[in-house]
Amino acid sequence: MEFDNSQLMTMLPEIVMLTGALLVLLVDLMVRDSDRMWPYALTLGTLLAAFAAAVSVGGGSSEIILGGNYVRDAMGDSLKGALLLIAIPLFIYAREGLRKMDEWRTEYLTLGLFSILGMMIMISANGFIALYLGLELLTLSLYALVAYCRDSSKGAEAAMKYFVLGALASGLLLYGISMIYGATGKIDFPGIMQQIAADNTGDNTIFVFGMVFVVIGIAFKFGAVPFHMWMPDVYQGSSTPVTLLIGSLPKIAAVAIALRVLAGAMESLHQDWYMMLVILAILSMALGNIVAIAQQNIKRMLAYSTISHVGFIFLGILSGTDEGYRAAMFYAVVYALMAVGAFGILIALDRKGVVVDQLHQLKGLNDRHPWLALTMLLIMFSMAGVPPTVGFWAKLFVLEAVVSIDMWWLAVIAVFFSIIGAFYYIRVVKFMYFDKPIDDEPVVVGGAAQTMLAVNGLAVLLFGLFPVLVFGLMKL
Amino acid sequence: MSFEKFIFYIFSLVLIFAATMVITRRNPVHAVLFLVLAFFNAAGLWMLLEAEFLALVLVLVYVGAVMVLFLFVVMMLDVDVAEMRAGFMKNLPVGLLIGAAMIIELLMVVGPKYFGLDKFAAPVKHAADFSNTEALGMLLYTDYLYPFEIAAVILLVAIIAAISLTLRRRPDRKYIDISKQLAAKKADRLRVVKMESEK
Amino acid sequence: MQAILLTLVLAPLFGAVVAGLWRNQVGRSGAHWVTIIGVGISFALSLYVLKLYVVDAQPVYNEAVYTWMVSDGLRFEIGFLIDNLTAMMMAVVTFVSLMVHIYTVGYMHDEDGYERFFSYIALFTFSMLMLVSANNFLQLFFGWEAVGLVSYLLIGFYFKKESAIFANMKAFLVNRVGDFGFILGIAAIAMYFNSLDYVEVFSKAGSLADTQIQIWGDTSWSLMTVICVLLFIGAMGKSAQMPLHIWLPDSMEGPTPISALIHAATMVTAGIFMVSRMSPLFELSETALSFVLIVGATTAFFTGLIGIVQNDIKRVVAYSTLSQLGYMIAALGASAYAAGLFHLMTHAFFKALLFLAAGSVIIGMHHDQDIRNMGGIRKYMKITWITSLLGTLALIGFPFFSGFFSKDAIIEAVGHADRFGSHYAHWLLVAGVFVTALYSFRMYFLVFHGKGPRDEHAKAHLHESPWVITVPLVLLAIPSVFIGWYTIGPMLFGDFFKGVLYVAPQNDVLAQLGEHFHGPLAFVMHGVQGLPFILAMSGLLVAFVLFLLKPKWAFDLRVRFDWLYTILDKKYWMDEIFQTVFAKGSVLLGKVLWKGGDQFLIDGVAVNGSAHSVGVLASAMRRLQNGLINTYAMAMILGLLGLVGWFVFK
Repeated sequence: MEFDNSQLMTMLPEIVMLTGALLVLLVDLMVRDSDRMWPYALTLGTLLAAFAAAVSVGGGSSEIILGGNYVRDAMGDSLKGALLLIAIPLFIYAREGLRKMDEWRTEYLTLGLFSILGMMIMISANGFIALYLGLELLTLSLYALVAYCRDSSKGAEAAMKYFVLGALASGLLLYGISMIYGATGKIDFPGIMQQIAADNTGDNTIFVFGMVFVVIGIAFKFGAVPFHMWMPDVYQGSSTPVTLLIGSLPKIAAVAIALRVLAGAMESLHQDWYMMLVILAILSMALGNIVAIAQQNIKRMLAYSTISHVGFIFLGILSGTDEGYRAAMFYAVVYALMAVGAFGILIALDRKGVVVDQLHQLKGLNDRHPWLALTMLLIMFSMAGVPPTVGFWAKLFVLEAVVSIDMWWLAVIAVFFSIIGAFYYIRVVKFMYFDKPIDDEPVVVGGAAQTMLAVNGLAVLLFGLFPVLVFGLMKL
Repeated sequence: MSFEKFIFYIFSLVLIFAATMVITRRNPVHAVLFLVLAFFNAAGLWMLLEAEFLALVLVLVYVGAVMVLFLFVVMMLDVDVAEMRAGFMKNLPVGLLIGAAMIIELLMVVGPKYFGLDKFAAPVKHAADFSNTEALGMLLYTDYLYPFEIAAVILLVAIIAAISLTLRRRPDRKYIDISKQLAAKKADRLRVVKMESEK
Repeated sequence: MQAILLTLVLAPLFGAVVAGLWRNQVGRSGAHWVTIIGVGISFALSLYVLKLYVVDAQPVYNEAVYTWMVSDGLRFEIGFLIDNLTAMMMAVVTFVSLMVHIYTVGYMHDEDGYERFFSYIALFTFSMLMLVSANNFLQLFFGWEAVGLVSYLLIGFYFKKESAIFANMKAFLVNRVGDFGFILGIAAIAMYFNSLDYVEVFSKAGSLADTQIQIWGDTSWSLMTVICVLLFIGAMGKSAQMPLHIWLPDSMEGPTPISALIHAATMVTAGIFMVSRMSPLFELSETALSFVLIVGATTAFFTGLIGIVQNDIKRVVAYSTLSQLGYMIAALGASAYAAGLFHLMTHAFFKALLFLAAGSVIIGMHHDQDIRNMGGIRKYMKITWITSLLGTLALIGFPFFSGFFSKDAIIEAVGHADRFGSHYAHWLLVAGVFVTALYSFRMYFLVFHGKGPRDEHAKAHLHESPWVITVPLVLLAIPSVFIGWYTIGPMLFGDFFKGVLYVAPQNDVLAQLGEHFHGPLAFVMHGVQGLPFILAMSGLLVAFVLFLLKPKWAFDLRVRFDWLYTILDKKYWMDEIFQTVFAKGSVLLGKVLWKGGDQFLIDGVAVNGSAHSVGVLASAMRRLQNGLINTYAMAMILGLLGLVGWFVFK
């Protein structure tokens, strides 16, 4: 193999991330301050530096390096950029929440950075091996984070469930990968694509068989029905700063691997996989939106809401058109932005010893803290898809993609379920604006988190007014 | 039947037998020991495939380290077997049904129709001095350097995760801080009290 | 120019945001200062813009500020269309709004939610400015919905009051009916014109004038009629025309400044504004105009009648508003758009004045709103009294007062109109003048004259309101009296609206009137010889006799005509009909569907989309989420089996 050091420049963002994560570990050892300002600052610095690196090496035609395991292309650039940017408010909120819980330790930062590194590896994976390893790096960090609060038995239980089910899903994914490897003899995506396209036996059973398992592995990562069952329990069992991480960014990575595998490697099997996604999408939208209504716990409600959003992301992917893929990327990024904001608000409402995760705890928020209420309102409207927030465009673009392949009925189903879904988002707004607070304690939020939340909420509005600011960056 | 085939069938049969025993034994210690047996047989199969490095690693790592650790844990913990098996009989019919369906579906694909011997060329026999280890190493450190590095990071994360989940620094623990001990001065510990002498 | 317009529109929004979101930081005085300054800036700039257009005769400004997106050739834009109509509307809106802001400082002085209130009214001003300055249907719709939303929030401002919550629900629902028509109309425009831009749509209107469409079966409908009627249904909701008027009287549950600003002077006139803006479309459909005319005249007369029997001071004014809106709509239906807008402007001033004066009385009476408990208040609240008198005279159309010019012009115009229903409309409007005078002066006499307040305690505490309340009254009284005299010439018969409103030559009733127009004085001289003036004076006289001289006669009349009184008191049972038809009817429909659905769809759970069954379904599914890892793994394996079974062995 030709090995050229200059190739390494292409993967500068990953290198920066890894270096940063290791430095955070070391710095924590050297500098012992109770507030952990140094590791925290270093974490944010790493994210910014990695973003800068992604921007500087990005653009131009795609490059495949490191023995065909790593690819840098327009899609990876956009998703990585979004990932790293959204990670910044994430860590700011997480710090706020962990400090309130007296759990502010460097492990969150390290594991968080490693999980983001895992997502970046997934995004730029050009073959099943890198994809699988990236996925494992991500999930391993997340398992540990779910059990992060060591004194919480709920956390330990959730971590156990997540771990066992995740292992099952990993097993299925690996089985599928081995099938496809067995049938094509290739492990990198372009190679698989060529092999499948060159296949002229007219019998694609093995490919489809392997693909079913791979799709299930991806669906588990997304949390699509019926592979969703870990989500509500894990969302609820983890402490909010961890749910914040699990519930937001991994969807961006998931959309990346879905596109790499389905739209890339298995492009010529579109006829087979799009129907799978149709089924998963309908189930997810239906179950997610309906069950969310019955939830009293906000984190569970948001888990089901995530499930329904996954259905929408699938709509974009299954269209099989470039516009649809872009719509799905846009949706995932927008979703991450909204989810970070929503969990961020829950964190902001937390107090020492009081965890806010019940719906009724939001009652009368407008009287207690109008800014937070407004931010939550914007995010809820956005999740419901009300114009002029950005969530409206996300839904519109995927629906357009579905309509463009003449699947009107699917678009109608999607709209129908999103209307049902609007109910529970609007209910949150009703609680905040029209009900009396049950809790008159003042809301205490740190300055950085408060500012970031306001920015977050306004971003939802701003990108809704100027959707092209984000959509224009979603390139394939 | 050549000797090679004969060996293959022996290993396979024992492997399947051992694997079945692992999930049906009531006593967890027995189950673990059967698992060890299964690993040995799997290693034997790998040997037949000329993958001697993998075979040895399997024995060394899994049998030598992982299983011993496992056994250790099983014997240390007081696992209530009866309780764990309580729902077993109740769920057995459903489990069997689903398992059967799964096996049928798998067999229909992973059978001679697609994976028959005629579908694949026989592997080339290597010379006796061919080093499987070297070939693996060549691949790992060139073509698969990137996955190899990621695997290293995963191991690091595993270590961090394990430590962060188990290492506790309880505030009430009476551990010794040597540097503090060394830095202690006489004045910190000893107080000379002036007393009026008894008269 | 763009900078000026953006500042003009956004200044109130800025005030609203600051007062709303930083209300804990800026406090009460901060909240009112920031919003008053914001609206003040808007008002100053509106005057400047008005001057640019009226005095300097600037050309029409029509530009997009921002293109939201382009989809299939349809442009979604934010843009401004500024011409004389917009300039006038902006000036009126910001002036009344500014007055109301100042007034509110006094009126809401002791209330909770002071900052919230200021934030809302400033937000309203912003929305209204967006609405009137739009150059496309999208922005129009945005403003339309935004003013509706703020109105909804403000009606329910006293959200602890049961009736307020009911009223805001009612306003919301009734307006949804109107909005449904409105958005269908806009959708039809987008579909057939493939554009949302006013100018583009208007320029294409002529070519589509004869288009017929099939909506149901083989019956063809004129496209223009369908579009105009749909748009007008929107206007009926917002401008509270029969039968969608029922929300407006109930909206009086909101604080009085809101009644003045939103439910009298500005928002409810949005429908009139919109129809005038769309005059190039409406002129193409004779049928739609007849519809408009009949609805307007009916509302004008019949809601006025209800006003006679109301005892709540705000409700009397509310019914009077309904009636006056009916006049404006009727003018539009007669193609006398300019007359409608002229009345809109004069009405905005005197109706805001009347409402604010009523509010002043209410404060004086310590929130007792029953006019039967009042009386003789003129002795205690001199400024309120005088300004109220001026407002009332303007309302009934007393010569030389602004209302005289505008109302007389409408009646004349409708009389000259030659279109289906114009005779009916004309006579109702003429009779309406009598009714107007009757209820206006009934209220005036009962409140300000006669014996003092019944309650001695109230009497003892009665005194004039503070200056923040009286100053707006005086400032509003000035245009209420004079503005008609000065503007009738240019607005009705001059070229103020030239190029803005389009009237087909054969429909141009105002041009016919204009041939006989020789200045305002001659107009007055002509007016006092007409039937309307006589009716107005007799109304005044009847009110004087019945409610001041011989109250017993009024009582006798009421007993004699008990059936009529009941009809009016029950407001023609409109509320009951609505509640029966919509509330009970939909429940009934639901039952029918449920029973039918049960028979047709065995497991109708998923299909019967009622909230209940969704809830049942949800909790059933939730039970599956039992927390046991085996169940979860099982679900995954079953999913796997299903997918493999389906796709591999299809």
